[in-house]
Amino acid sequence: MASMVEARHLSKRVSTSEGELVILNDINLSIAAAETVAIVGASGSGKSTLLGLMAGLDGASGGDMLLDGHNLSTMDEEQRAQLRGQSVGFVFQSFQLLPSLTALENVMLPIELKNDRNARQKAAQLLQRVGLESRVTHYPNQLSGGEQQRVAIARAFASEAKILFADEPTGNLDTTTGAKVIDLLFSLNKEYGTTLVLVTHDDRLAQRCRRIIRLVAGEITEDSAIAEDSITGEAVHG
Amino acid sequence: MAESRTSSVSVGNPVKPGTLVRVALRLLWRDWRGGELRLLLLAMIMAVTSVSGIALFTDRLERALLQESANMLAADRVMSTREPPPRELLTEAQSMGLATAEYIAFASMAFSDQDNLLVSVKAVSDAYPLRGSLQVADQVFGAPYVSGQGGPSRGEVWVESRVFSGLDIDVGDNVYVGESEFTVTRVLVLEPDRQQGGMMDNAGPRLLMHLDDVPETNVIQAGSRASYRYLFAGDQRALDAYTSWVRNQYDGLYRLRDVRDESAEVSEALSRGESFLMLGSLFAVLLAGVAIALTARRYSERHFDYAAILKTLGCTSNQISVIYFCILFVLLVLAVAVGSALGWLLHEGILRMLRSVIPIDLPSASGMPFVVGALTALICLFAFALPPLLALKHTSPLRVLRKDIGDAPLSTALPYVFGIVGGLSLILWYSQDLLITGILVAGVLSVAAVLSVLSYVLLRSGTAAGMRAGSAWMLAMSAVRRRRRQSVLQVLVFSLTIMCLLTLGLLRTDLIADWQAQLPENTPNHFLMNINNDQLDGMQNYFDRNNLQANPFYPMMSAGLLQVNGAPAPLPWDNDRPGAPSSVTERSAGEPEPGLGAEAAADSVGEGEMPRRVENRQVTYTGQLPPDNEIVAGSWWANDNRPNEVSVELDYAQRLGLQLGDELVFRLGQDEVTVNVTSFRTVRWDNMQPNFFFIFSPGTLEFIGATYLSTLLLEGEQKMLLNDLLRQYPTIVVLEVDALIEQIQTIIAQVSSAVELIAVLVLVAGALVLLSCVNATLDERFRENAILRTLGAGRKLIMSSLLIEFAFIGMLAGVIATLGAEVSVYYLQVEVFQQEFFPHYWVWFAGPVAGTLIIAGLGVGATRRVVNTSPLAVLRHLSG
Repeated sequence: MASMVEARHLSKRVSTSEGELVILNDINLSIAAAETVAIVGASGSGKSTLLGLMAGLDGASGGDMLLDGHNLSTMDEEQRAQLRGQSVGFVFQSFQLLPSLTALENVMLPIELKNDRNARQKAAQLLQRVGLESRVTHYPNQLSGGEQQRVAIARAFASEAKILFADEPTGNLDTTTGAKVIDLLFSLNKEYGTTLVLVTHDDRLAQRCRRIIRLVAGEITEDSAIAEDSITGEAVHG
Repeated sequence: MAESRTSSVSVGNPVKPGTLVRVALRLLWRDWRGGELRLLLLAMIMAVTSVSGIALFTDRLERALLQESANMLAADRVMSTREPPPRELLTEAQSMGLATAEYIAFASMAFSDQDNLLVSVKAVSDAYPLRGSLQVADQVFGAPYVSGQGGPSRGEVWVESRVFSGLDIDVGDNVYVGESEFTVTRVLVLEPDRQQGGMMDNAGPRLLMHLDDVPETNVIQAGSRASYRYLFAGDQRALDAYTSWVRNQYDGLYRLRDVRDESAEVSEALSRGESFLMLGSLFAVLLAGVAIALTARRYSERHFDYAAILKTLGCTSNQISVIYFCILFVLLVLAVAVGSALGWLLHEGILRMLRSVIPIDLPSASGMPFVVGALTALICLFAFALPPLLALKHTSPLRVLRKDIGDAPLSTALPYVFGIVGGLSLILWYSQDLLITGILVAGVLSVAAVLSVLSYVLLRSGTAAGMRAGSAWMLAMSAVRRRRRQSVLQVLVFSLTIMCLLTLGLLRTDLIADWQAQLPENTPNHFLMNINNDQLDGMQNYFDRNNLQANPFYPMMSAGLLQVNGAPAPLPWDNDRPGAPSSVTERSAGEPEPGLGAEAAADSVGEGEMPRRVENRQVTYTGQLPPDNEIVAGSWWANDNRPNEVSVELDYAQRLGLQLGDELVFRLGQDEVTVNVTSFRTVRWDNMQPNFFFIFSPGTLEFIGATYLSTLLLEGEQKMLLNDLLRQYPTIVVLEVDALIEQIQTIIAQVSSAVELIAVLVLVAGALVLLSCVNATLDERFRENAILRTLGAGRKLIMSSLLIEFAFIGMLAGVIATLGAEVSVYYLQVEVFQQEFFPHYWVWFAGPVAGTLIIAGLGVGATRRVVNTSPLAVLRHLSG
């Protein structure tokens, strides 16, 4: 199966007043299309940095990063932005909705940026799909955390991305709401056949993916597939 | 594993411009509804409103003032000569589309059947006056009205009231001038250019006749002293074309003069007024520019997240620039439209308010003020708002994962460079004057330099002291220290704003005070000249008997400076650098007035002539230092027993290179007098009083025969006493400057009103800046105080700490602003307004106190919401 994401000897270092700090070291991995992968690790293990590099939000210090067949290391920010617009969707811990746009307009935005004339209709359908049809004209600050994250999920799928990056999607939500949001995320992911890369420090949430990559101090210490029958079912109950 | 594609590959369709515009408009609309853009738009509207409003007002007022001043000439340009000028000068002007008129002025005796009187005759052509109007009455002291026609018809004369009593006649009676007989048909109340011209035009009461009647009078013979004037009026282009034609055709032989050449006082009042108005609108725009910069910066800071999210959604940097450029463009259009309309209303309001003090009809406005307003908005936008917004394109998309990334772009130098260049261009464009630009830039730079040192020291010591004080004080000082960069910026903005307000306020006060001092109430409005020694007592008695306010009699004689310390005396102009016309102009502007009393035609600039080199000066001797004279070096003679000393006017002494103690030899008639220079004086040339370059000590010149000069205040009906006085002392010459003084006072009153108003507008612009500056830190304050409140800090504690923080910053700003204002006022007064500078000690108290009160009041007022909003709402709003 073709790789959707591939990292070759990827590294990330930053300079600090106390010398060079290695955040990621010699990362090699390959994620196939439609695969669901959880990147787990403790705080500071480098998992969010890896997500940023995989999604082309940041540049690596060494190695190659390939996304949907494009070598991000040789692309400038403008080209990476275009690639993101075409192939990548995001779900963030802090939702990252535009506060001055309504729920509907937030979902419409990526569709409009693809020059799609049916943006409004498609966005409304997606909001209906995430159960927010009665909240389309609400602004983010009029929505609860769970609702905001559902809008964010609708927006992530709105661009018909090939790959979805989720950064601690339940980090700002209570357990019950988080579970519902994750159910929705996986259900939509299945429906759209999207590749899902999920960063979390929650092992139980990770168990819902087919594959778990564990990071410790910037290095992969575990890369294991999970058998179909052992994937946690519906919920990640606290 | 699939082979990777390279970066050159095209990924999908690029976003269409239309889509970006739609996104931009939606963001704009939402931000507007959310209140995000209100302050930015308000600042831009304020800039356009103040500029177009002030420009409209000054445009109309300036044209009205010019028109009013043109009235003082009865024309836009005047040409004066001693000999009849070639007719070609008139016909050519007419062919260029100019209106023309002419008159001849001369002194002559007028006779009635009962009496005779020396009158100054003015014989005018049909078109006279080209500007302004003649006011006449049907009987002496009757109600004046504007003459429907120009001057009198042939065979008729109009005369001033004094002629009626002088000749013992009434309207309808006949008078004789030379060999002609005329019927007096009207009382002449006012002629627009009554005070223009020299002694000949104003040596007695006016008799106005038709130009064509002059030949038959046979008064003007070859060699007669008469003054010929050609008057021209028309649009500026035609006037300019004609002026250059005259220059080329006659090679400087004839010169066109406008009101600025003709009246130093009016010219000075006008140009000072204009400089002030210009400076005022400049300050208003710069302040609005600062407000725009601050609000745009805040807007862009709030949009870092937007830009990052848009980038994760696939927007490129350039597309983000397009989006924010669109937003700014719409704001610009809105600001120009709304600002222009408000500007119009503003200037209409001002005009209504000032209707009582601006009695003249204002000409309609040109379109230029709106262009100026729109261009100002554009420059403000590019210089102050665009850089922070365009910096958004550099936002890292990684910010969606790590919020601490993305503030960096604004710290780059570019926005500041843009702001400084934009500000400089605005100053230069408005002032059209490198000097003013230099002064303002130096003022701002010195404030910035002083600020960086002072604020560092004061913030450090203030916060150190604060840390040991009570908890509200501690909170406030730790806030100041934590936000040191912002605090310094706030102090900078506050001090610049307060400095602008103080500078303008001080200039305004001094300017108006100076004008009032120039021509205070009861300024003598008549010069009495050619008085003999044996007439002095009698005249003094006459004044006392009639309760007339007379001034000292100054003996006057002509003296030529022969030697300085034994060497031949240099001519006063020898020390001029070649090609330094400004000093010559300045001198000639000052001289005609002393000439009223001192030099008359001998020394001052003659009519229609270029300034010429001068040896002889009218001098005087007195024991009393004349009013408005000030000794700046040496000392005035303490008593009357020190002969052979001379006090010299400072500028003149500098031109001659004189030093205190120099020995000067003067020639007076056949005699020579040797004196020592014992003092230098400054003289107020524009006070319409007798002024002298050389004043000798008593006991030096008494042996030489002199005539005397004095001044007299005659108001209303007292003027009729002149006839009586002249009948008793027929040899004296009276110069009437009452109409001129009145006209100057009117113009000064108008300019003063405008000056007051501009100061108010700048105050409004200043308040807007202060508000924007306080608002700029609002988000952070909200967050901090919400955290403090969740930790249990009470409302009172937070309010007190806010009060202390703003008061502290306000006091710092007040101190620095006062310093900057004094320095700026010093340079502006000395270099631009040509005034004397005195330190304003009260400002050193008022500046810091005002700074403390205003900033504390504004700051606490604007941040009150911080404690009135629930902490949860704040934290949710800011994290959302």
